Amino acid sequence: MNLAINLDFGIARRLRQISRRWARKRHGIDPEPLTVATRRIYIIPTGMGVAFAVMLLAMFIGAMNYANNLALGLTFLLGSLALTAMHYCHRNLAGIVIRSASTEPVFAGDEATFQIALENTAPLARHELLVANDQGTSLPQLIPANGRAVFELQLPAPRRGLLTLDHFELITRHPFSLFRAWTHVHMNMTCVVYPKPAPRGLTPPPVETDTGGAQDSVRGDEEFAGMRPFHPGDSPRRIAWKAYAREQGLQVKVYAGTAVTSHVLDWDALTGLGTEARLSQLCRWIEDAHAAGRAFALRMPGLDIPANIGAGHRQRCLTALAMFEP
Amino acid sequence: MSAVLDHHLQQLTPLGQRMVWVIAGLALAAAPHFGHVAIWTLSIAATATALRMTIEIKRWPLPPKWVNTGFAVVAFIGVLASYRTLNGIDAGTSLLIVMAGMKLMETRSVRDLTVVVFLSYFALFAALLYNQDMVLLPYALLTAGLLTMTLMRIHQTESMPIGTAAGTTAKMFLQALPLAAVLFLFFPRLPGQFWAVPAREKAVSGLSEEMSPGDVSELSLSSVIAFRVKFEGEPPPPRERYWRGPVMHMFDGRAWRNAGSSFMPQEVASSGSAYRYRISLEPQQHNWIFALDMPTEWDRRRAFRAEDFQLRARQEQIAVLTSFDLESTPTYVTTSGLRNDQRRLETYVPRNRNPRTLELARQMRERAGSDEAFIQSVLTKFGSEEYFYTLEPPVLAANAVDDFLFNTKRGFCEHFASAFTVMARSVGIPARVVTGYQGGEYNPMGDYFVVRQSDAHAWSEVWLEGRGWQRIDPTAAIAPERIERGLDAAISAEEDVPGRMLRQNAVFSQLRMAWDAANTFWNGQVVEFGENQQRWLLEKLNIKDPRWEYLGVGMILGLVGFFLILSAYLAWKFKPRSRDPVAHVYEQLCRKLAKLGVPRQPHEGPNDYVARAAQARPELATQLAEVRTVYVGLRYGPAPLPTQLSRLKFLVNQLEA
Repeated sequence: MNLAINLDFGIARRLRQISRRWARKRHGIDPEPLTVATRRIYIIPTGMGVAFAVMLLAMFIGAMNYANNLALGLTFLLGSLALTAMHYCHRNLAGIVIRSASTEPVFAGDEATFQIALENTAPLARHELLVANDQGTSLPQLIPANGRAVFELQLPAPRRGLLTLDHFELITRHPFSLFRAWTHVHMNMTCVVYPKPAPRGLTPPPVETDTGGAQDSVRGDEEFAGMRPFHPGDSPRRIAWKAYAREQGLQVKVYAGTAVTSHVLDWDALTGLGTEARLSQLCRWIEDAHAAGRAFALRMPGLDIPANIGAGHRQRCLTALAMFEP
Repeated sequence: MSAVLDHHLQQLTPLGQRMVWVIAGLALAAAPHFGHVAIWTLSIAATATALRMTIEIKRWPLPPKWVNTGFAVVAFIGVLASYRTLNGIDAGTSLLIVMAGMKLMETRSVRDLTVVVFLSYFALFAALLYNQDMVLLPYALLTAGLLTMTLMRIHQTESMPIGTAAGTTAKMFLQALPLAAVLFLFFPRLPGQFWAVPAREKAVSGLSEEMSPGDVSELSLSSVIAFRVKFEGEPPPPRERYWRGPVMHMFDGRAWRNAGSSFMPQEVASSGSAYRYRISLEPQQHNWIFALDMPTEWDRRRAFRAEDFQLRARQEQIAVLTSFDLESTPTYVTTSGLRNDQRRLETYVPRNRNPRTLELARQMRERAGSDEAFIQSVLTKFGSEEYFYTLEPPVLAANAVDDFLFNTKRGFCEHFASAFTVMARSVGIPARVVTGYQGGEYNPMGDYFVVRQSDAHAWSEVWLEGRGWQRIDPTAAIAPERIERGLDAAISAEEDVPGRMLRQNAVFSQLRMAWDAANTFWNGQVVEFGENQQRWLLEKLNIKDPRWEYLGVGMILGLVGFFLILSAYLAWKFKPRSRDPVAHVYEQLCRKLAKLGVPRQPHEGPNDYVARAAQARPELATQLAEVRTVYVGLRYGPAPLPTQLSRLKFLVNQLEA
């Protein structure tokens, strides 16, 4: 009895697409944060709900046939209970605040994980909520009264660029799974998809050694460059214990200047390859250099990122690859 | 104890933990079916349940699908073989219980458990079809509550505490109750069944279509209630409380049989007072209405009076509690004549049986000279000679009447009625045995009479020229206290009468009457709630011309009202509680100023914003200045006063938006 609802047969899918397009036209792109208004919540009985209704109908016929008031009373009570459950199901969604939470970039071919934060401003808990779209479903969760919960929705990211989650549904079947209430959310949440790293093989470009102390005073650890007062968080290895012993207070030794080996990762050096292959190769080199802790610069048409190290630099370079348009 | 149970539960898989609750619900729903459903179906369901739980505990693999299918087919055929039908409550319930067991056996998912819960609901429903006793109401509510709570809990990903689930379920039941009540009160009831089902075979003690006094050595006296009667005005005296049942016409020398009576209308002239009353019959296997002898008025659409004056319902069986409004007159004359075939039937006795009785009757008739005198002399013989009224008579020989009259001389009403009728018939007086009830217990709390199976009685009727059928009760001659004060008084103290001790104890008697009065109220107001009560209800609501359309409109209004009230209530329950009254007033201020054309910019604090508003609307400047001072004082001042808050509320209210 559940088949028609669960399986994506042609007509059901068409109907669903039509209803979604209609909902999109009706509600437009949603602001963030979005508070779920009652007028955008849809509700229909599930397969189990239909089965329950059929059971009630059979009970009703039996009770009327035997003119049995107690049985009729039970039938009416269960029917009213189902209608009460419908209200609970509907209300379980209404007033929830939807926010997009951070979404980590992924490489093409991986699964992007969109994080959606739901906030419950009501003094009562919300039960059995889940978010879903065509590709996947999150685990159902409970949001305690005045609490919040983060739902994860996974989406395949086949190509580099910006992956947009333009639609998902917030669904609940609480309390008895007799009804399914849902709302369409169109928030345009994005996830950066880096190019897929090429397989190892092509040798990286030659290494330049650069001792540019002036370049970055914060990083590098080649030469002693003086002392400064201790801040919480400084490494204990850098504390000048001798100075402390001389009762000069906690001082931290500061080093400057780097003898950093760095690559210049150049688009033009990769002759004979297509655009996507070049991007993949650059991605591979960036990942290797970053893993080895070496600095690298990135040169691409219309873009020149000077040599640097660190997660921020890596992200900047990979994002540039992801968003590159020839 | 519960800790140990908890520990055991924790060791189960999540599905197993849910299953335990589903099984508990199913057991509660199936329990009332003990006794009226083939015991093997309950055993099968119990075995399947035990097996499934063992599999769950031991983590064995489930049996393959074809095993389950095979069992299901066998069980199906078994039900069909047991009942020879699938139509009707017995077969349906058996099938339901077997199916629930089978479904449990193959349960792998929450969906399967849901199906078992649905089947349990249905089993509970079927239990109500069997029995509508008052005590079943709390039981049914409890079971429905447990099933509903289980239905909710099995659909939670993380296990829901029982307290929370029970609370929510109770709340939902209370919220559903008003709509259920409206539907119950206003849903149009249909007269009669629209889907015929085989009559239920149920051993109900009571009168039958046969009477064989010689075969009974101990009359089983059941205190089961046969019917209740409520009189309008004064009830008749005890000696007139004869409740007429089936009439026995055929005698084979030992046993009496009801011949099945034709539907010929008979005329009755009443002489004396008539009684109007309402009789509520408990379910029985027949359609007999035990009217006070002699019924003169009844609803012709629902009942008819047979040729032998037995009142019968027009349906085949009184399967549920049913009431009739009747009128009877205890003093009457039947004016229709006796047809020849009737006379032959009512004077027939086998000439080769009971020879001593026939001879005695012939002699007595000769001595008496007239039919009336003969009857009187027989009654006198019963009263003056050594005849005893007892509930434990000896078994009689083949010529039962001879044996009783000349040897044993001990018997109860059936013996005396039978002997008298045989004697009357043998001398040519048309006579027959009437069975029914006599007496009844008055319940002062509910002002009605209860007639039990132990009040069953048999008497005779003779046809006399010019007077028609006349009631003659030989038992009244031998044991007049049976008629005047009931069975307890007629039986000697040594003999055991079930329940006599209880009846003679004042406290128990009071309790019993209170309980029966409550049951009667329940039966009248709930079990028998129907078209008449609905009409009355509508009249109370000042609807003069009740029509079904009104009921429909009433129900739709009830439904709409239910939707509106429940959604408003839930919206209120889920509304975010305003945590800060000052912030609330400030928001109100911002809304008002925005309407006045000065919306707050996101970066603006209260000082800047109110200053800007005062600039834009100079006419409000003084008011706004005070608002600003009070607000800043409340928000950032050292010790905010409640008076400041009310002042702020007042000021903001004063602002004209």
